[in-house]
Amino acid sequence: MLSGALDGVKVLDLSEDIAGSFCARLLADYGADVLKVEPPGGAALRRMGPFFHDDPHPEKSLFFLVLNLNKKGATLNLETVTGQEILRRLAPHVDVIVESYRPGYLSSLGLGYDELSKLNPQLTITSVTPFGQDGPYSQYRGEEIVNYAMGMIMSISGVQGREPLKHGGFQAQYEGGLFAAATTSMALFGREFTGQGEHIDVSITECVASTMMATQTMYPFMGGTQVRRRASGSMFGHPMPCQDGWIIVQTGGGASWEDLSEFFQCPEMLEERFADRAQRAENGEELDRIVIESISERGKWDLFPKAAEYRMLFGLVQTPSELAQCPQLESRNFFREIEHPELGIVKVPAELFKLSETPYHLERPAPTLGQHNREIYVEGLEYDEQQFSQLRQLNVI
Amino acid sequence: MPRLPLEGIRILDSTYVFALPYAGGHLADLGAEVIKIEGPGRPDVTRTGGYAGSFPENQAGDGWWNKPSTYNLLNRGKRSLVLDMGDERGRDLFREMVMVSDVVMENFTPRVMRRWGLDYPNLKKLKPDIILVSNTGYGHGEGPYSGYPAQATTQEATHGHCWVTGYLNDGPAKAGASFVDFLSTWSAIFALGAALRYRNRTGKGQWIDIAMYQAGVMFLSEYLMDATVNGREGGRLGNRHPYRAPQGCYPASGKDQWITLSVGNDEEWQALCQVMGRGDLASDPRFADILSRRNNHDELDEILGQWTAEADKYDLMHLLQGAGIPSGPVLTGRDIHFDPHYRKRNFLERVDFPEEREVGSRFLMGRPYKFSNTPMSIRGPGPVFGQDNKPLLQELLGMDEEIYQGLLDDTIITDTPTSGEASPQMEPTRAVELGLLADYDPEYLQRLGLA
Repeated sequence: MLSGALDGVKVLDLSEDIAGSFCARLLADYGADVLKVEPPGGAALRRMGPFFHDDPHPEKSLFFLVLNLNKKGATLNLETVTGQEILRRLAPHVDVIVESYRPGYLSSLGLGYDELSKLNPQLTITSVTPFGQDGPYSQYRGEEIVNYAMGMIMSISGVQGREPLKHGGFQAQYEGGLFAAATTSMALFGREFTGQGEHIDVSITECVASTMMATQTMYPFMGGTQVRRRASGSMFGHPMPCQDGWIIVQTGGGASWEDLSEFFQCPEMLEERFADRAQRAENGEELDRIVIESISERGKWDLFPKAAEYRMLFGLVQTPSELAQCPQLESRNFFREIEHPELGIVKVPAELFKLSETPYHLERPAPTLGQHNREIYVEGLEYDEQQFSQLRQLNVI
Repeated sequence: MPRLPLEGIRILDSTYVFALPYAGGHLADLGAEVIKIEGPGRPDVTRTGGYAGSFPENQAGDGWWNKPSTYNLLNRGKRSLVLDMGDERGRDLFREMVMVSDVVMENFTPRVMRRWGLDYPNLKKLKPDIILVSNTGYGHGEGPYSGYPAQATTQEATHGHCWVTGYLNDGPAKAGASFVDFLSTWSAIFALGAALRYRNRTGKGQWIDIAMYQAGVMFLSEYLMDATVNGREGGRLGNRHPYRAPQGCYPASGKDQWITLSVGNDEEWQALCQVMGRGDLASDPRFADILSRRNNHDELDEILGQWTAEADKYDLMHLLQGAGIPSGPVLTGRDIHFDPHYRKRNFLERVDFPEEREVGSRFLMGRPYKFSNTPMSIRGPGPVFGQDNKPLLQELLGMDEEIYQGLLDDTIITDTPTSGEASPQMEPTRAVELGLLADYDPEYLQRLGLA
């Protein structure tokens, strides 16, 4: 009896970063058996905050914790000959390897797709990197801000007259991780019929770019280049301050301009000077002034349900702690609690989407460093106690 | 030709706007037969109005609803069936289609499919192993917002994205384009691959219930952890990084041209000083370590901005990357068409439209990934509204001519939308004047080799 949609899929997660870790976590969330394989010093993500109670300890990175839920963990030094040999011994028993090293690095160790697929033709290697495996920038270094810049989205984020603006957080890395998980699941389904794995090459920059529908297509369709918003005069689609925070309203949806005027209690909005898009752009500053003034005494939590009655496209800016208490997310069972050996019980964002027959399970927290070494090397690969001890002393694991 | 992963999989794609239509387009690239279903009076909003993107040469013209750029990007490689789901006869045809399909995708508000008797329990009666993919703003269930209207622009505020996005010491901002839609797009592809594999092994279908809001919140996981564990609210850093410094977006030579760079440690800082020819800064105690660079970030921004302003953004990238410093130019929608890396990776694919569509050939984005053993490509433009009505109903349902005519007469089926207008197109030079476009290049067809 299968319980997860990806039950039976065995994954080695060699990634040290956000994107690869998130990819492998999603596979684990929906049933795959994922082993996080870290260098003896721990994955780079363990050194990235936020940390539990701000203590920068490798077992206390909350970022590492949340992106490595549901995985087991072992250490392995791929820069040693014995470590490479161990990976070659593991490869025939797994379906997927997720990795995010600089393109060519694993091949240089004799552990690339060409080498490992000879040992296991069913193996899929999912590589998620800033610029992809080939092309002139493949060896260039990525960072979140660089992925946004080269993925086009910064060219239209922020406002005119100021510098382009990146998204907050690490959205591009998460995108890379999700897109990589999606392509991996497709490769796994395809393999059901071909018996063959794939080397999947995911470019994080291209993940960002692929979302820029109107921006990319504008040039080959009509020669235009999209632009950042004007600093004022286009508050529709921008967060606007209200009494206790910010709200955002978009035209369109089920509400007419007249409905919006009624919602804002702003009869001036119906004046001729705001009659169409061009006029609203020209008289935008005045429009902003009127609308923002109308909500200066109104609170975001009162406006939110009211806007839903008007079938308006409406949002309010929520903070992380508001999200942590959101009744909608609670109704969806989005957060779960899990006990971590070092940190005690923590509440974690857990379920990405619902599957009716193979529901999400949170089975284990992120592994501590080398937590399952014995299970993997002694019980799995049948090293005896002396050999196991040697591997540890020689810094292989 | 290697076998594509979704060969032989038929998908009924009754979805609108961006998120799931784009998933359907990607599933067509992956080999599925994707049948886009629209209502006679409900052409997809990417055909009409403000979400359509651009028209060829900025002209709507005859059959305008088949021409928009965004519609064709998202719905590439699909077939089209126009069916009035608001009418019981339309729904009956849909039910018959379900019986010969593998997957149904829909993004109606939660009550609609229930009211039509087309929710998962009912679809399962028609075809026990059907896989249903639903995408809604806030998700199905009993939550307080489940019935609220939703769309990316406004959800990006509600799911926390705007709280962390914005200029330093300034209010919340949103991304320049829809963002959260695509989290549903790829969640759907991920879930569907897993569900198909599960069906293949067990014979069971299932219901995939995706909420854009929830996906958006997931992408802020580290902020949520910091809030629940440390009681911290996060906030906006502009273009800066929580642990690296300096990081930013600086002017390059030319109008509205920009370069980004990010320095992560002292070694990279020393390398940056070297490429700038500023040995004096390398030993300046104000910038000696990561903490001092963070504390003096404003001064650094000034110094860096002065240095970058004289140079070409590409030259700067190559120079900085050559010194081991993460860096890249801000690329526009125009730039990527000429960028050597995008070109080398064939990210943009030339799609040839049939002549009668009067669109010619255009470049559309392919996929942000490659499979080593299974090359893929866009299999065609988005379908003409209703182009496959007759072949689909005849092939799949064995419908006879007389019944087909009757349905046409009653507009249960049609190949011309009964409502919707082309988005008004502004003269590009006027749009540039108003600040609604960055630039207009009248030579674009020649430059792209599409003339």
